[in-house]
Amino acid sequence: MKGMRWLAAGALVGALAVAGCGGDDGDNGSAANTGGDGAISGSITTWIMDPGSPKLQEVFNQYAKDFEAEHAGSDVKIEFVPWAQAHDKFTTAIAGGKVPDVAEMGTTWTPEFADQGAFEPVPAAAAGDYVSSLVDAATLDGEVWGKPWYAGARALVYRKDVLKKAGVEPPKTWDELKAAATAIKEKGGGIYPVAFNGLTEHYYLPAIWQAGGEIATQDGASWKAALNSPEGTQAIDFYTSFYKEDLTPKASIGWEEPDAQEAFINGDVAMLIAGGWTYNSIIQTKPELEKNIGTALAPAGPSGKDTAFAGGSHLVVFKESKDVATANAFVDFMLEPENLNKFTSEIGFLPGTTAGIEASGYLDDPVRKPFAEQLLDHSAVYPPSPRWGALEGANIFDGVIQNVMKGKESPEEAAKSLAEQMDQEFAG
Amino acid sequence: MSHAPATISAERRRAPRRPDLAGVRRAVARLTLPVLLLLPALIIIGGLVGYPLVKTIWLSFTETRLGDLVDGSGEWVGLANYKEVFTDEHLRTSLINTVVFGTACVIGTMVFGFAVALLLNERLRGNLLFGLAVLLPWAVPALAASAIWRWLFDDRYGFVNWALVNLGFSHFQDYAWFADRNSAYVAIFVTVVWQSFPFVALSLLAGLQTLPRETLHAAAVDGASAWQRFRLVTLPLLRPIVAVLVVFSTIWDFKIFDQIYVMAQGVPDRAADTAAVTAYRESFALGHYGVGSAVAVVLFVVLLAFSIVYVRMIGKEAQA
Repeated sequence: MKGMRWLAAGALVGALAVAGCGGDDGDNGSAANTGGDGAISGSITTWIMDPGSPKLQEVFNQYAKDFEAEHAGSDVKIEFVPWAQAHDKFTTAIAGGKVPDVAEMGTTWTPEFADQGAFEPVPAAAAGDYVSSLVDAATLDGEVWGKPWYAGARALVYRKDVLKKAGVEPPKTWDELKAAATAIKEKGGGIYPVAFNGLTEHYYLPAIWQAGGEIATQDGASWKAALNSPEGTQAIDFYTSFYKEDLTPKASIGWEEPDAQEAFINGDVAMLIAGGWTYNSIIQTKPELEKNIGTALAPAGPSGKDTAFAGGSHLVVFKESKDVATANAFVDFMLEPENLNKFTSEIGFLPGTTAGIEASGYLDDPVRKPFAEQLLDHSAVYPPSPRWGALEGANIFDGVIQNVMKGKESPEEAAKSLAEQMDQEFAG
Repeated sequence: MSHAPATISAERRRAPRRPDLAGVRRAVARLTLPVLLLLPALIIIGGLVGYPLVKTIWLSFTETRLGDLVDGSGEWVGLANYKEVFTDEHLRTSLINTVVFGTACVIGTMVFGFAVALLLNERLRGNLLFGLAVLLPWAVPALAASAIWRWLFDDRYGFVNWALVNLGFSHFQDYAWFADRNSAYVAIFVTVVWQSFPFVALSLLAGLQTLPRETLHAAAVDGASAWQRFRLVTLPLLRPIVAVLVVFSTIWDFKIFDQIYVMAQGVPDRAADTAAVTAYRESFALGHYGVGSAVAVVLFVVLLAFSIVYVRMIGKEAQA
């Protein structure tokens, strides 16, 4: 197991559209770090990725209140940042020296910003306290820069009623997925079979693994792109064929994950690549859909692999925080099992701590079981290179995939140009 | 008496110098207070405009990453970033987009603004209400307007597709406006023009109301048609205002950001991005602060040229 990675949760953004989210940075003064003295009485600002539901936002606000009640004089301000804007916002915050004290960090971004020297190192934890792959994902140059918070992997979510109407079983392989999609298009009553977005790399990059290929391979300390291969080409061809054959909405070429989620909620698509967090968000938004939703592991590619991307979040403390002691205390507070489970069970992720997973009971719930299985036994992580976050931030994959969808590039050309861009960035 | 000529000659000798000194002293006295009074503003302008400008120009000649930005240690690369701006297909396309789409927006805004101004200038019933309504789009923040129009152009739930389908254009059922550069530009064009025509319309209306009625009457009496009166009388008389508005609109529409950022993000391969958005993305998404700054500087130079034209025009008007 290499480092486990990250960021799954574009979906959390929910229907959140535009986001002025004013980072109220005014209070990052020049006061010296007070890491040593251990007094838990400062004011800190915490950036949390917007969970997209008022109920979940309330969970976080309650953390702040409980923490303040426990530590007299402390003041915790929670600010919600939409996933889609988060990478830019962290970049500008670090560049401008206006960082929060504590933040939730997508696991693929942790090495990138740690490489810039943005974070306080995390004191060594006892082995087995955390999900080890998530610790690996936070490790750079032998030090750990963030504490695992939660993780998840995308499986398949489908409408039982539509599949029944089209006369198909939940697909277990790529071939079955294509056949099911074609049947739904013909007999589904005007509903689109799937939402295969142009702007969601967590949908199409795992297809490379499912085809039996690799995205990149490690070569000593550096990384090298590996998707310029027959498997990589096959994966791109398979994914984009759904757009070319009208099996996904035409607009989905410009969709991000929340758009696809919304289309599923509105009854416009029958199958969705989605994690437990998306599933929870769907049934919370539209409870009447619950009885018609089924879940299954991701369909397996020609190699027999049904690998999905394992994403999640770390909690980090910024080096420029003016009160590291309070910041660390608040992180530990959020990671206490009873606090952690309030959030993960609500949102549909697995906790990042061993104690949290034991308390969660995910594997006993038949509908949520595929999500847990997908993460624990059928998932992989993107290359834990400090450059990966920049590749993601720049969406280098999306433009190429969109061009293939439009027929402007062949899958072979796409794999080749992506590999070139990745190698350029890895060498960067 | 005998020393009188001496006095005169002494005075003659001093005479050319004295007014000089006094003049300088008077000039200094005259300038000290204004300069002192202006100083706070000059310092603020220097800090808010001058520093970022100089820093951006400097960055554009360096290879700077996020880490370098923090400790200010970019590597000097000369004109390499500018070379990339003009050779890299994406960057070059964004500059061409800026000029072509920006120009289209200027023309659209001017034509529509003129039409509305002429309509408002007619003494019609309810014109006051109409005039107020015209102002409203201007008051909507660009970001909010972009989000609203993005919804109006939504493929499945948008008003635009609904209306077009009901008008008999069934081709627009689930039509994805933002899945292609040209159709995305149609939607963004509508948004930009909708937001910027009120200023143009009201400025032109103010101009129209100062026109001498006699000239127009005389033209009408001489048998000029409505179109001839507009082309041969109204337009030449409004020329100074039109020129200034064109320059203004050009500056605004070339540095357009919000609408593109919100509406063009899903356009395949980001083919509809303009220079301002590209500068932002190169810097803050890709971490290529040097290249991003170079794009910004190129855009700045283009806009500077238009601003000089504008300042010249204002100068001429002041003289006239």
